[in-house]
Amino acid sequence: MPDLLQLKVQYFAVFREQRGLGEESLASAATTPAALYAELQARHRFTLAPEMVRAAVNGAFAPLDRPLASGDTVVFIPPVAGG
Amino acid sequence: MFSLTRDPIVPPVLAAAGAGGFVAFDGKVRHDHAGRTVVALDYEAFDELVLAEGRALLAEATAQFGLLEARCVHRVGRLAVGDTAVWIGVAAPHRREAFEACEWILDQLKRRVPIWKKEHFADGDSGWIGSDVTPGEAPVTEENFYSRQIRLNEVGAAGQAKLEAARVLVVGAGGLGCAAIPYLAAAGVGTLGLCDFDRVEATNLHRQVLFAARDVGKPKAALAARFAQRLNPFIAVRAHGARLTAESAPGLFQHYDLVLDCTDNFATKFLLNDTAVAMNKPLVQASLYQFEGQLHLYDPAKAGGCLRCVWPEIPPEGCVGSCAEAGVLGVVPGVFGALQAGEAIKFLLGLGEPLSDAVLLFDLRTLATTRIKRAANPHCPVCGDGAPPTEIDLDPFAPGRDFSRWTVVDLREDHEPRPLVELGSTPWRHQPLSRAAEWLAALDREQPHLFVCGRGLRSGNFARRLRREGWPHAYSLAGGVDLALKARPRSA
Ligand SMILES: [Zn+2]
Repeated sequence: MPDLLQLKVQYFAVFREQRGLGEESLASAATTPAALYAELQARHRFTLAPEMVRAAVNGAFAPLDRPLASGDTVVFIPPVAGG
Repeated sequence: MFSLTRDPIVPPVLAAAGAGGFVAFDGKVRHDHAGRTVVALDYEAFDELVLAEGRALLAEATAQFGLLEARCVHRVGRLAVGDTAVWIGVAAPHRREAFEACEWILDQLKRRVPIWKKEHFADGDSGWIGSDVTPGEAPVTEENFYSRQIRLNEVGAAGQAKLEAARVLVVGAGGLGCAAIPYLAAAGVGTLGLCDFDRVEATNLHRQVLFAARDVGKPKAALAARFAQRLNPFIAVRAHGARLTAESAPGLFQHYDLVLDCTDNFATKFLLNDTAVAMNKPLVQASLYQFEGQLHLYDPAKAGGCLRCVWPEIPPEGCVGSCAEAGVLGVVPGVFGALQAGEAIKFLLGLGEPLSDAVLLFDLRTLATTRIKRAANPHCPVCGDGAPPTEIDLDPFAPGRDFSRWTVVDLREDHEPRPLVELGSTPWRHQPLSRAAEWLAALDREQPHLFVCGRGLRSGNFARRLRREGWPHAYSLAGGVDLALKARPRSA
């Protein structure tokens, strides 16, 4: 079994609402934001389809297939339209 | 029609056909002024100037409130107490506009039209006064209006002149707009355009603080424009009350230097983004969710990209909650609208560090701010260099050209009206977008397909999606069937 990555995850808008918190540290076998979202979506029943999700890694928007490393901060951002 | 008369005013008869309401105002010489007894009044006007300004003002009112008729008569010369000094009459399809317009005309008349009055008091005194200035009150001048702002070294007289020369369009007079508009007006943005087709609803009032309970049912653009013009008489405020569309947006954008996106739905946000990119205009955008929001500045001169660099497709409306579905704390749009005004003013003044390469996330509950760096996406469908053109207009279907291998795919749903465009013998298939999963596999991706819908938004998104999935000849009809029908006959 590969080593788990230690990650910090931040949630915004609908993710924060559905997760019930804004930030958490976790250990994950996911090596990309896409895999991490799939894992978290299954665990927390996020309603947003994966193609609508954007991720930022360490403070910058990043492709969903960017490799993750231990210690990374991953932010999941849904589209938002309210005004 | 605006006129001056030296004789007692005889109220004209308004005869506009189709009017649901006529409102008239009869302004008389009052018996006292600031506690002193008035016996007579002299009105004096520089006729040409007054007539020109008066006509302009009635024309503006007619456009802004959709009036069928507007008349104003002002008397000049010596008037006695009880004489009619000014008479205003308007006709509109509905009473609300008629009442609104009548009062607006009176306010503007007092502010803008140079008519002086000399009051003769019972004690023998007399004096000339400006029509709207109460004695003892310091007059408002541009100098004192902006003095605390000009005092800033980073603004100064030169900065104030930049703001005065600037033309800013605010799209959406909702929660965000209600916060941004007063600060832009007060800062002295010389031309302020306010675009909203909506009317005030009761559910708006907890966050749309330019409107009062009695405004429910009234048009937001006109109300916001009136507020801004009252706040700052030294700027030009324009209300645009029509719904913004892909066809009308470029015509509106061309009159402005910078645009604020204060709207509340994806379709309009993407329309503003695409138009701003196409016309090279900076766009300050905010979007909210419950207690938090996002702030962007898309500057075409910088490498930060645009909205579609992050979200190439328009997310389906309702995939995340709107204010109506998810709720929103009223102060949240207040904070973000003020931030939008701040970014716009910074941009116009070249002040500080604009947010052109990052999105700012702010959560009111924790007061935590997060900045996430953005970069232009080279594959962006609107601002990317190599974005393949997916939109075509009807020119390729001009007679004499061979389109026998093309297929038109009509994506409109069963419940929509589906007027068709005459395209000769080119096959036209109706395949509703909602069932794309069922029919898409039957199409040959190597053949040219022209996808169409009512306005070209869904077909544009769909064609771009197919291009990314390896369909080299997927096209969308620009502007949709609705635009094409304006130029083309309807098929049988
Ligand atoms: Zn872009």
